Amino acid sequence: MELARPHSPGVADKLQTPLGVQALTLLGLVVVWEFIGRAELIFPELFPSITAILQSLWTYVTTPVMMPHLKASLYEVGGAIAIAALAGVPLGILWGSKRSWLDIVEPLILYAAVVPKIVIFPVFILFLGIDVHSKLAVGAIAAFFPISLLTIAGMREVKKVYIDVARTIGATPVQIAKSIYLPAIAGQVFTGIRIGLGAAVTGALLAETKIAKAGLGFMIVEYYGQFRIADMYALLLFIFILASLANWAMKSLFGFLSPMSRKGGDAGMYF
Amino acid sequence: MSETTRLNAWRLGIIFGALLIVEASVRAGWISTFFLAAPTRAVIVLWQQLVHGNALVLTGITLFEIAACLAIATVFGVLAGFFLWRYKLIGTSYETLLAALFSSPIILAYPIFLVTFGRTSAAVIALSSIFGLIPIIITTKGAFQNVNPILLQVGASMNLNRKQMFRHILIPAVAPTIFSGFRLALTYVLKSVLGLEYVAQVGGVGMWLSDAAFKFEVEEVYAGLFGTIILSILFLYLINRGESWFRK
Repeated sequence: MELARPHSPGVADKLQTPLGVQALTLLGLVVVWEFIGRAELIFPELFPSITAILQSLWTYVTTPVMMPHLKASLYEVGGAIAIAALAGVPLGILWGSKRSWLDIVEPLILYAAVVPKIVIFPVFILFLGIDVHSKLAVGAIAAFFPISLLTIAGMREVKKVYIDVARTIGATPVQIAKSIYLPAIAGQVFTGIRIGLGAAVTGALLAETKIAKAGLGFMIVEYYGQFRIADMYALLLFIFILASLANWAMKSLFGFLSPMSRKGGDAGMYF
Repeated sequence: MSETTRLNAWRLGIIFGALLIVEASVRAGWISTFFLAAPTRAVIVLWQQLVHGNALVLTGITLFEIAACLAIATVFGVLAGFFLWRYKLIGTSYETLLAALFSSPIILAYPIFLVTFGRTSAAVIALSSIFGLIPIIITTKGAFQNVNPILLQVGASMNLNRKQMFRHILIPAVAPTIFSGFRLALTYVLKSVLGLEYVAQVGGVGMWLSDAAFKFEVEEVYAGLFGTIILSILFLYLINRGESWFRK
């Protein structure tokens, strides 16, 4: 008698999974774009072929042409996230530590968070000039809000009863901070920094497209002005890949550093 | 004094206290007027622009762009969200792609929209609609997905047909969540429209700010900034009021 063999999924079965549909969609998009680009069906200037875009991307990755711009952008984004974290986490802890302060401050922060941060750029230009520091400032202010708001959310999760119990058993303020506050807020703070990174990238690079001497955003607008559309797409692709990699690296790092902390959901879209 | 009044008094105290410090610093000459305008001067310039200038027209343009984005995002977003709920596999697959697209810095692709639509409001509307569309799609899908099955069972036990079920059970059940998505969309559209107007120097209030900065008119820059902040805050306030009214 023949034994029933375990059924191994075929190609058709694999395609009928979310991953399969996603892969098919992306593949379809690439094929259609390539076809439009090669056949020059719609706006040939606007839709260069995928191969032309990838060739351009390869040039940027393998030659030093992009290096000074990449350095400028990394400096701005790195500086922005450092300043935003150094200001946002302590202030979030301070505001979140007392209910009465939080009641006063939280609506103000929420309202301020809605204002598009790029509009403050002219003020930073007046104070800091058109060099990298004005973009760094825009990135920092954009990242500050998610970081401070999520730190506050973390502080809110600390129940008063935990502190009371800790005090009853004679815990010192340092022990309370280390054993109660830190585990409670770590996940939210990490999520805040990760989301803040996205905000800093957008803020700083968008500011670069307005006025700058160097940076990836500056390059995008330069290529737009010279109508080098394939180069512009290649740069955008490079930025998207870099931002995704940074997001993934931060997620992994924070998961490793704080495996037990309560993670905030992927609130990227909420900021 | 009620708790709300006390809190509001504190908040206003913080805001006006900060403005007072800035005003005093500028008037005393501690900060040069080359960098910072006194808040009272900025408010006067804003008022002059509203009464004698074209600030009202520019605000109208910005409001039109926001309204157009929301109309596009709502119509297409609700339809797409419903479609993604109906077809589970496609819904699950595309939700991840949409979330990934939304968390990427797509606003940097604005030059593509300028090339396609020209340096006009259409470019701002086209790109900003995406920022409204994605939250509405995701919340609509989630809203349909999370309808309490007991409600559907009650509808079935009352022999409601598909049309009646949709009208009397599904729509009232999903409406509050979709409104939350709409609120989120409005916030993103507002930020995107004002930001793009400023960066691309097209449209309404954002363009005014950009023009003022280009001409180094410091008082006008701060007046434009005040205008933008007031517009953003007013919008959020109205959305919050609208949401609480809707939930009643």
